[in-house]
Amino acid sequence: MVHEILKIEGLSAGYGPLRVLHEIDFSVNEGERIGLVGLNGHGKSTLMRSVMSLVGWQNGSIKIKGQEIGGARSTGAGRRTHAIVQMGVALTPQGDAIFPGMTVAQHLDCGAYSKIAWRERAKRRDAVMDIFPPLRKLETALVGTLSGGERRMVSVGRALMTEASLYLIDEPSLGLAPKISRSVLDALFSLPREGKAMVIAEQNVALLAGKVDRMVGMHAGRLRGDVGHVALS
Amino acid sequence: MTAVTLIHGLNLAAIYGLMAIGISILWSSVGMINMAHGATFAASGYAAWQVSLIAQPLINTWFGTGLDASLVMGATMVASGLVAGALFGGLIFMLAYLPIHEKANFAVRSLIVTLAINLATVQLLLFFFGPRQRALPKIFGFGRTEILGISVRNDQIGTIVATAILMLVVVIWLKRSRKGLEITAMMQNPEGAVLSGISVRWTALPVTMLTGALAGLAAILLSQTVFVSPTAGALPLIKGLTIALLGGLGSLPGAIMGAILIGFLEAIVGSISFLGQRYVLFSQFLFIITVLIIRPRGLGGLLDETRESRNV
Repeated sequence: MVHEILKIEGLSAGYGPLRVLHEIDFSVNEGERIGLVGLNGHGKSTLMRSVMSLVGWQNGSIKIKGQEIGGARSTGAGRRTHAIVQMGVALTPQGDAIFPGMTVAQHLDCGAYSKIAWRERAKRRDAVMDIFPPLRKLETALVGTLSGGERRMVSVGRALMTEASLYLIDEPSLGLAPKISRSVLDALFSLPREGKAMVIAEQNVALLAGKVDRMVGMHAGRLRGDVGHVALS
Repeated sequence: MTAVTLIHGLNLAAIYGLMAIGISILWSSVGMINMAHGATFAASGYAAWQVSLIAQPLINTWFGTGLDASLVMGATMVASGLVAGALFGGLIFMLAYLPIHEKANFAVRSLIVTLAINLATVQLLLFFFGPRQRALPKIFGFGRTEILGISVRNDQIGTIVATAILMLVVVIWLKRSRKGLEITAMMQNPEGAVLSGISVRWTALPVTMLTGALAGLAAILLSQTVFVSPTAGALPLIKGLTIALLGGLGSLPGAIMGAILIGFLEAIVGSISFLGQRYVLFSQFLFIITVLIIRPRGLGGLLDETRESRNV
């Protein structure tokens, strides 16, 4: 039986008078790995941020494991985000949103902020460092002093520390050298799939080709249906 | 520089540092310039004074009048200052944060609301307690102690040691504990913090209470040398604000460094015979303006990695 982790119906979202997303329907099943592809400024990030309730305004149904978190929102952006994180959704935002004055270890611990995860943070930190080996020797380095690739690893690592069943990774290759972005993505693809799902937003389709179950194109705030992965791989 | 000036400078640095760190933490994690920090200072002073009136006879009957009694009194004063400050901080959270924090221009609105709280508190204190100055019990005694051949007033030593210990505890707590990490995360990147599952609203409460408690402690310590009065918070507020600005709002090492510089500047200018106390504020502002012209971000960033630009 297929479990739907995320189900979005009729989602519109935007900022002030600007409407970025138009009536989007989208769903993610357990175990799935989905590529969300499209050009800059066509709404990939807005889609991910509206799941986290971080956009200016949004309207439409968003269900996490059957539980409604969408609807029209009257409170400010970000008020409910922590509750959505606790429901098991982790977002690595574009541009990383890092804590420059923390050490790598502290930074990862922040991801394990929920009470259950906090108790086993050392174990989780170890697991993240297995996925991103370069972080191991940087454990006490300040995040603000790291290189772009290392920052991305720390940022993705923080998301992996949370007790999540749905990972939303926004442009993991942004601003990185091709070799480094490949290694970050390979690390993501090496994660176990049981009970988890992952959506990766990417402009660089070649990076995802053959590695994801399906690709969904995005154009001008609308989804362009599934792009067959066979043709791309 | 004489030894007396050195100790005086450290003493001032300790008290100003407590105020500045509070203002700095609150600005960077909650995005609010707390003009009511001076009100917290004054209200905590009065709360401790009230407690001392009630506690003095009790302590005298239970512990006599010896060293025991003054130690218990000291602990009572420090505790009541911390608690009163924290409670007042909670009040600021309810009045100046919860109702308006999601409105546009929160920074300016909260500045106005906290300024109003400050003015109202001063008037209320005047109304209930009158303009007369009140003295707190001397929690560190009256004597002088000989340290490394220098004769030092007990209250100065007490202030410096108590502040150093408390600041160390706060800094370690911010770095190590889950709650502290939560506040540090909010200070450095609010978006990253909410994405880690941290609630913006409910992080603001411990922050306002912590910074309030620091102001409360500053009130108890400064009241060892000056009296408690309704307007007692004005000067510490101004100095705290300017030091926080000098330190680069949001940087703890910057605020501590700024407090030490301003404290020593005050002690030195005050001890030079042809300048004296009346040039203290003048020289401090001149110094701060000069630093900010050369380095608009203040001292922050020289000593640590501060937050990146605020865009959430």
